[in-house]
Amino acid sequence: MRKDNDILSRVGRRDGLTVPDGFFEQFAAKMAESLPENPAAERPREAVVAPRSFWSRVRPYVYMAAMFAGVWCMIKMFSLMSPANVDLSIDSNQALTDALRDDNFIYEYIIDDISDREIMEEMYDDSLSVDDLFPADSMLME
Amino acid sequence: MGTDIAQENKELIERLRQPQSCREAFNEVMRLYTEPLYRQIRRMVENHDDAADILQNTFLKAWQSIENFRGDAKLTTWLYKIALNESITHLQRERKRLSLSIDDEEGHLINLIEADEWTDGDELVRKLRKAVATLPEKQRMVFNMKYYDDMKYEQISEILGTSVGALKASYHLAVKKIENYFNNND
Repeated sequence: MRKDNDILSRVGRRDGLTVPDGFFEQFAAKMAESLPENPAAERPREAVVAPRSFWSRVRPYVYMAAMFAGVWCMIKMFSLMSPANVDLSIDSNQALTDALRDDNFIYEYIIDDISDREIMEEMYDDSLSVDDLFPADSMLME
Repeated sequence: MGTDIAQENKELIERLRQPQSCREAFNEVMRLYTEPLYRQIRRMVENHDDAADILQNTFLKAWQSIENFRGDAKLTTWLYKIALNESITHLQRERKRLSLSIDDEEGHLINLIEADEWTDGDELVRKLRKAVATLPEKQRMVFNMKYYDDMKYEQISEILGTSVGALKASYHLAVKKIENYFNNND
């Protein structure tokens, strides 16, 4: 490497290349004269306005209409969900009213869930006796 | 490469991008870059006439694609890329025309150097040119840009699209080969 560096330092950075007198100046001048037209680079760029399609023209209005429809749906949904519009009374619920009118439903789903002891306690609290509830001539007692 | 050329001229690039001033600016580019590009090309093809033709093609290609030059890359990098691509294309065409293999090309280039009349006559310089001619194409480009033009590895990397590490290795290898050439041809 040292020898090589010696070689390179002896040569220096000269490449020894020569050209005819005035070559570079003449070359640049000749090139400048013979440079062809370049329309893409030399013509002023005109602003190209693309024709607007029907969709591009109506799109803002469609988006605005969709937005208003969305807002209206949200307002409607919230008003339906508000507590003032939710009637929780049994009387307003037709299915529940019908069910409670049905004795079979009462016996099967309500009375069966209550223990005899609870019924007796309730009756005692209300000063009722079994005889009051089921008179002797009642069919149930038969 | 002169320092005035190495300094990228923002104003010149701006003028290149303006339709009304681009031709005049390109003439200035040609005036500034004719010599460094010529030297770079000639070191690759080792013939004055071929170098002049390739330089002409380089400027024509650069002019035709000037609207694609956005100024993101350096002007020097862009022009060197075109010049080196044109040089490689020329060498490939010559290999095909003369039915030369890549190994034969070395001898062909050495013949061109020996027959070259446009030199300063320094035999040591001529010998170095011959030693450089024995290198593979890419190594030759790296050596030429680093040694003769004293370019930074970062700039060579931008031109050749090779990592700085690979370029350093390539240059080191080139110097070794040149050393061997001198040892074997003393």
